[in-house]
Amino acid sequence: MTIELIFRILLDFGLAFVVGFCWGILFGSPKRILWVAGLLGALGHSLRFILLQSGTGLIAATMISSVSIGLIGIYCAHKVHHPPVVFTMPACITMIPGLYAYRTMLGCIKLTDPAIVQHNPGIIGQIGYNLMLTMSLLFTLAIGISIAALLFRSKSVREISFRPKQKKL
Amino acid sequence: MSKIPTLTNEYVAASEFADLALDIATTLLASGAHCGRITRNLNRMAKHWNLEVQMQLTFTGVVLTVTSEFDPQHTVTRYHNTPPHSVHLELLTEFSRLTWKVADGDLTFEEVKKETERIKKVNHYNYWCIAVAVGLSCACLCLLAGGNLTDAIIACVAAFAGSMIRVFILHHNFNPMISFVIASFVTTMIAGTDMMFRWGAAPETTLATAVLYLVPGVPLINSLIDLIEGYLSSAWNRALFGASILLCIAVGMTLSIALLGINNF
Repeated sequence: MTIELIFRILLDFGLAFVVGFCWGILFGSPKRILWVAGLLGALGHSLRFILLQSGTGLIAATMISSVSIGLIGIYCAHKVHHPPVVFTMPACITMIPGLYAYRTMLGCIKLTDPAIVQHNPGIIGQIGYNLMLTMSLLFTLAIGISIAALLFRSKSVREISFRPKQKKL
Repeated sequence: MSKIPTLTNEYVAASEFADLALDIATTLLASGAHCGRITRNLNRMAKHWNLEVQMQLTFTGVVLTVTSEFDPQHTVTRYHNTPPHSVHLELLTEFSRLTWKVADGDLTFEEVKKETERIKKVNHYNYWCIAVAVGLSCACLCLLAGGNLTDAIIACVAAFAGSMIRVFILHHNFNPMISFVIASFVTTMIAGTDMMFRWGAAPETTLATAVLYLVPGVPLINSLIDLIEGYLSSAWNRALFGASILLCIAVGMTLSIALLGINNF
């Protein structure tokens, strides 16, 4: 049971690493930074997997992991000397709510057919549910990426320091 | 207290700086930077040359006013359209580094101009490379969404084919929106075979994840970031751009779903 769970977490980590890496290529991130994008995406996605397994809601889990991607991204930006967006963007895209967006769209297509609507009147509720889920998940991803602008008063990530400021004499 | 010109900073005319700043701002806007980043990058440079920049960034163009700090009479306002939008995050890094170098006083104005020309010519990845990456990532997303290996392979092939066709269409200078429609149509046709013949365990995931490479993630997320940071006009423009691409994807998928038969889905 436990070994199986650990295996599934590792599988999730590996798959999300490939996704982050490949989205980095699609978005034209610099070559030397692709592995950071993959690693951050993998960390965020497997954290979300663990949270979902332990019973957290989908939106809350996505929120927590995208914010952690954003915060770790600030630290990485200092280490590798690149702006954080370059790798937090592909990393957060690994959690893109594709299935819900697809279901919303399919529901809207079905809404054009009166026979289907008569057969399944609950379809509007399903569309609303999927649409709201898609939009909230996208919003949480955006919050994760712009966490530096929201939490810190410094305008640029380069000026953010995690060490306590020394008092000037 | 009046500011005294420092001798270490070279004198740059407002009009020359305005041209350079417009060049950088439009390039950044087209390669997927959010407005806060562009404003910070330009202000960093302007401060070094004792200038002040005020700008209005929309999605399709940039208006900016440059004022000299010593001589308020010396003011220039210019406008420029953005080049076609295509996400290229490497340029964000390059311009960020360039502006920090300027702020630290390492580059002269002429050198910055040369560097800007060089950065604008930085190549994106080869389209074969992108197509393979797209295929792989869609396959992995399919596995993550709960498909089995067969689903993943079909999603990979579908995304690869769609990506290549999109490059082909863009190469022949068609409307970018049409390229999204046709790419999503081809991808859904290939992924839809999984739904028709029930090859994999979860064909729904194949269809849902194969078109994800077309989703305008960068404009949509940038739109929300702009909204958070208060650049409202740009936020709406980006949202509209993203929504119209989503609409194009939906049109392509609808066409192919209608061809394959809606009752199969």
